[in-house]
Amino acid sequence: MAQTQSTAGKDNSILTKVGMSVLYIGLIIVAVFQIYPLIWLFQFSLKSNSEVFGMSPFALPQDPKWENYVRVWTDGNINLYFFNSVWITVVSVLLTLLFASFVTFAITRMNWKLNKLVLGLFMVGLMVPIHSAIIPLFSFFLELNLIDNPLSIILSYTAFNLPLTIMILLGFYYTLPREIEEAAVVDGCSIHRIFFQITLPMTTPVLATTAIINMIYNWNEFIFVNTFISSDKFKTLTVGIQNFIGQYLTDWGAIGATLMISIIPILIAFLILSNRIVEGIAAGSVKG
Amino acid sequence: MKSAWHKVLFSFALVLMFALAACGGNDEEEENAASGENESDSSKTIEFMHLWPEGSSKQHHEIVNSIIDEFESDHPDVTVDVEILGNEQYKEKLKVLSTSNELPDVGMTWAAGFLDPYVGGDMFAPLDDILEGPLKDKFVAGTAEAYAVDDVTYGLPLELNITPLYYNQRIFDENGVEVPGTFEELKEAIQTLADNGVTPVALGNKDRWTGSMWYMYLADRIGGSKALNSAIDRTGSFEDPALIQAAEEIQELVDMDAFINGFNGLGNDEAKGYFINEQAAMYLMATWDLPEWTTNEDNPQEFRDSVDYAKFPTVEGGEGDANSYVGGPGVGLFVAENSDVKDEAKEFVSFFVEKWGERSVTDAGVIPATVVDTEGLDLPQMYIDILNDLNEASNLTLYADVQMSAGVADVHLDSIQALFGKAITPEEFAKQQEDALAAEE
Amino acid sequence: MNKVMSNKAVIALYVLPAFILIVALIYGPILITGYYGLMDWDGIGAKTFVGLDNYMELIKDAKFWQSAYHSFLLAFFSTLSLVPYLAISLILAGKVKGSDLLRKIYLIPMLLSSVAIAQLWVKIYDPNNGMLNSLLTMVGVENPPAWLADTNLVLYAIFVAILWQYAGFYIIIYYAALKGIPESLVEAAKIDGASPIQIAYKIKVPLISGVIKVTVVLAIVGSLKYFDLIYVMTGGGPNGASEVIASYMYKKAFDTFDFGYGSAIAFFLLLITLIVTWITRKLTASEDEIQY
Repeated sequence: MAQTQSTAGKDNSILTKVGMSVLYIGLIIVAVFQIYPLIWLFQFSLKSNSEVFGMSPFALPQDPKWENYVRVWTDGNINLYFFNSVWITVVSVLLTLLFASFVTFAITRMNWKLNKLVLGLFMVGLMVPIHSAIIPLFSFFLELNLIDNPLSIILSYTAFNLPLTIMILLGFYYTLPREIEEAAVVDGCSIHRIFFQITLPMTTPVLATTAIINMIYNWNEFIFVNTFISSDKFKTLTVGIQNFIGQYLTDWGAIGATLMISIIPILIAFLILSNRIVEGIAAGSVKG
Repeated sequence: MKSAWHKVLFSFALVLMFALAACGGNDEEEENAASGENESDSSKTIEFMHLWPEGSSKQHHEIVNSIIDEFESDHPDVTVDVEILGNEQYKEKLKVLSTSNELPDVGMTWAAGFLDPYVGGDMFAPLDDILEGPLKDKFVAGTAEAYAVDDVTYGLPLELNITPLYYNQRIFDENGVEVPGTFEELKEAIQTLADNGVTPVALGNKDRWTGSMWYMYLADRIGGSKALNSAIDRTGSFEDPALIQAAEEIQELVDMDAFINGFNGLGNDEAKGYFINEQAAMYLMATWDLPEWTTNEDNPQEFRDSVDYAKFPTVEGGEGDANSYVGGPGVGLFVAENSDVKDEAKEFVSFFVEKWGERSVTDAGVIPATVVDTEGLDLPQMYIDILNDLNEASNLTLYADVQMSAGVADVHLDSIQALFGKAITPEEFAKQQEDALAAEE
Repeated sequence: MNKVMSNKAVIALYVLPAFILIVALIYGPILITGYYGLMDWDGIGAKTFVGLDNYMELIKDAKFWQSAYHSFLLAFFSTLSLVPYLAISLILAGKVKGSDLLRKIYLIPMLLSSVAIAQLWVKIYDPNNGMLNSLLTMVGVENPPAWLADTNLVLYAIFVAILWQYAGFYIIIYYAALKGIPESLVEAAKIDGASPIQIAYKIKVPLISGVIKVTVVLAIVGSLKYFDLIYVMTGGGPNGASEVIASYMYKKAFDTFDFGYGSAIAFFLLLITLIVTWITRKLTASEDEIQY
């Protein structure tokens, strides 16, 4: 900031100041738009159905229904679902990041003939919509006796997120300086050491980014869970929402409360991971 | 930095191994459990899938659980394993399960068009022995029949709904509107309300079946109870003048601003919200919403006091009478054809239907498909009135989208939305459906 | 150098786990879906082989082509939307005071599940009680449109929601990419007297061009198979005005028991996506990826 102003200040400080103010006003307006949904969701979670549909959506709940939260906690198996969501998400994200990094490293850093072809095959995986694969997948897991086993969801999450993750990693690997890795090779470093001790640390920012994206996808996913899991003991939070969708009547306030509860852990994880994005390549490359 | 990464990696490896080991362990346990099941005949498990979660349908859920408890204590060798899903997810999962022939032993199905493909694929077991045996003459006439294909019944209904026209007495009074008995009176009422800046009718036609109810009633009142049915069962045609006239009347209502602004983009939940918040005077919906106007504490008392219902008005010169209803059974129970506990499953279904019939209306406000004796029941007056109306009903026309096969139903529903949105003429409306129906013959 | 980096065993070790996963869980199923597409099947009863009949029908199906047109429109607008997202990321990644906080706030909508986002936008677009129309009425607009009921507007109304939903996704990717640019390059340009805009346009954007190309592909592919909000908010209606390929496919396969036809749509969608992606890659290809 200081630097920007000192260099720019030489030319035209008033114009810069006006420009900066306009910029800030714009940025803040956008910020309001972006944070409002969270506030809205919180209000929503304290409303009854008649308030949800009748009143202006801006209106504050007249008689906040905190009992929505109590109901969500007692009527649904929320605490169990919560635990399942956490561990299934964590395992899937870690698996995806590791496998995707392996593949991207092999494709961009190692020399083999088929690398373009294999990359293409991964990219095609990006193009398959979940709904067109769900029925064959079900029979596949049925054959393997993996229906109603969390492994079926973890593997599906990993497989379906791999193409996206590889694509994003790829863009970064291409722009990443290779000198350090090359130097390491000259020093006689083993390939695994290069990968784990140089490349992975250097890609922290993008790993954090893809971790966030993967985490959000897995956390909010419900089609796989619904289809592959039938026991309560393996279900995840998104299924908790369904608990409030009835045959003819849906309890929207309770859904709001479930959504609100389920966003908290992911918000925290997001804030933590999001800081890792900034810890740039510089740190990794100097110390790696 | 270096050592930090070591730690991360190490713990990651641990997690991974732990996860794989844990999952592997599960596999073995499950296999053991499965093989154990096969070996001993003494204990049997009925898998039961339903769509009444505790959160949204607490009373339903509790009745189901207590019926299961009762059944299990009567049959110590049988356990009932329950899986519960929301409405849409239930349908989707049933579909996926059937592609692999993995249906639960007992589950819920809808009538006619929904049931047909499952029957065609030999997924559901015939239940005539129950219908002829323990449940003989227990069902309201015409309900179990909706689950029959070629005179064999594959599902036993749990609900029965008819569709009254609900209205808000307070809004009617404020605008000097009388409860309409004829379609002309209904149009006058709509005109008055619209002139006074009050939304006459709440309609969430994004869901399409909502608009279909309006059309079906007009078809019934103009052409009589057979007009629409014979078009669908192909003894007649959809290009019947009465069916076209009904479509014309719909567009006239649209021109009069009878329906809420933006109805084609509103879901039924939103439309109902307008009615509950007294922003619309009328609402055509099935009796499954009765709890909303009677017992649901979330809705203001003043509102519930001002809601009443009327039979859908008759059309002068039309052939239908006021005691003919649009409606039908909602969900029913099926037994899977390939169930390995078929006898127990049938016994459970029979037991369930009977117990459900005894308790559903008093405990959950659901009118069962089995005959209810209103005498001595402690019910809100509106329920008593509706149950009495049901006894006097001259005809019950099953919801068109349920009657039709799924493919034709989709054409019907799309045409309804287009008709209400004035994207097609009444003649085109009739032709589209005639073509779809004819193509299926 | 080459020897270490050409170790076949290591390559296999690194690529195979992921490769096996996607072959088993993505390629297997989509090929089976392609096979179902050759069948007349309601998903329950017996399958009848009908060859390419489903595809013949598909080619003549006006509703399919209408939904395909909508999907392409979405792809087009999604790609366009990358420009403002890139601009925002450039600002946030620059040395603007409070950018750290702003960045976090900007990404919040991305955390919400589709269920929440759909509800929010349904409330925004409600014709009578909705947020948007309340505001429009307040500033004196008479008869504001019924957004989701108007066949001319509904598609664009939903596009706005979809583009907004994905803003965080692209911003976070761009942001991470921009943060990866070595400080020294930017400093050097500053010393040469380049303005922040020049630095952004001449240095930063070219340096992350690899990432930008990736996001273009992601935007196009993501749009072509997009489903969530449309299915919840309008169900493809009114009158097919907001139908896209994936929602049409879902309707056919799951709602109307025309599973064979639904599978044919799914497989055809994959082919369309492949072709479009291939063309995009050709169009955006440059001499080589930027390397230091």
